[in-house]
Amino acid sequence: MSVSVLVVDDSPIARKMLRKALPADWDITVQEACNGQEAMLAYRAGKVDVMFLDLTMPTMDGFQVLETLQAEDLNCFVIVVSADVQPLARERALGMGAIAFVSKPVNAEGIRTVLREYGVMV
Amino acid sequence: MNASANVLSGDQTDALQEIANIGMGQAGDSIARIWQQFVELSVPRIAIVEADRIPALIHHFVGDGLVSAVRQAFHGGFRGEVLVVLNTGNRHELGALMGYDGPLEPHEEEEMLLDVANVLAGACIGGIARQLGADMGFSAPSLIGTDLDAHSVVRPDELSVATALCVEVCFNVKIHQLSAHLIALLPREEVAALGELLDRFLCTL
Repeated sequence: MSVSVLVVDDSPIARKMLRKALPADWDITVQEACNGQEAMLAYRAGKVDVMFLDLTMPTMDGFQVLETLQAEDLNCFVIVVSADVQPLARERALGMGAIAFVSKPVNAEGIRTVLREYGVMV
Repeated sequence: MNASANVLSGDQTDALQEIANIGMGQAGDSIARIWQQFVELSVPRIAIVEADRIPALIHHFVGDGLVSAVRQAFHGGFRGEVLVVLNTGNRHELGALMGYDGPLEPHEEEEMLLDVANVLAGACIGGIARQLGADMGFSAPSLIGTDLDAHSVVRPDELSVATALCVEVCFNVKIHQLSAHLIALLPREEVAALGELLDRFLCTL
């Protein structure tokens, strides 16, 4: 059964770059959300196994998504993908339940390494 | 704000916004390491503006209150000018974050503002250029002034362009009520060069 992946970023280019960096041999179905609210709608619909989450977004940012997910018993793998590369942003995101933090711009090797490291992809 | 119609295509604008976002992240990290504070980052804003509208746009970005401003030109893959506009309500706190003790002498304040601008502009514009595969050089930054009204940071008659592409990012340190806005202005004739670089970037996706 394929893994359900949600790519959350307000930038269509960033979503495209992330999708391109996902392993071609990973059996997945990919949905996109352009803000935190859309991400939460998809999550609550119960169809998200892995969420790639940007931090800096209008409407509902990545930290607010992590906060809400924690309040609702986080039940998916969240990998933060952010241009905000401050150590405190990384610590804060990991402290709020994200399993990994990937700096933008993403690259295929970096994404594959993270997926393998956390057992999301064998 | 995303009004860059007729100058950049929708895809080019989206690419510029994301590339500016990454450049801003690198600049935010650089200044956060100096200030030893967490810096909140905004979503970059892009607009095409006529020169006589630039003062109002800067006021729209920065808001009311007095500001200090520094300008720095850049050249290479594309040419333009960066304005770094800081709120000056807490200049002593900014001085402390920059490692100065006690009240600032005027020359220390100028030195501090130039340093902040240099770090932000170098990291942000340098980061944008790197992603676009462009070399970029910078002139020395110069102080426009302190205790300025946001409307008077630039005068339209000082600008050598009739229309400019404006990219704005904001860095905030909430506990010190400190904010710095970086506004990059590209003359309209430089937008074609930027557009070519953006097209090359888009072809890699």
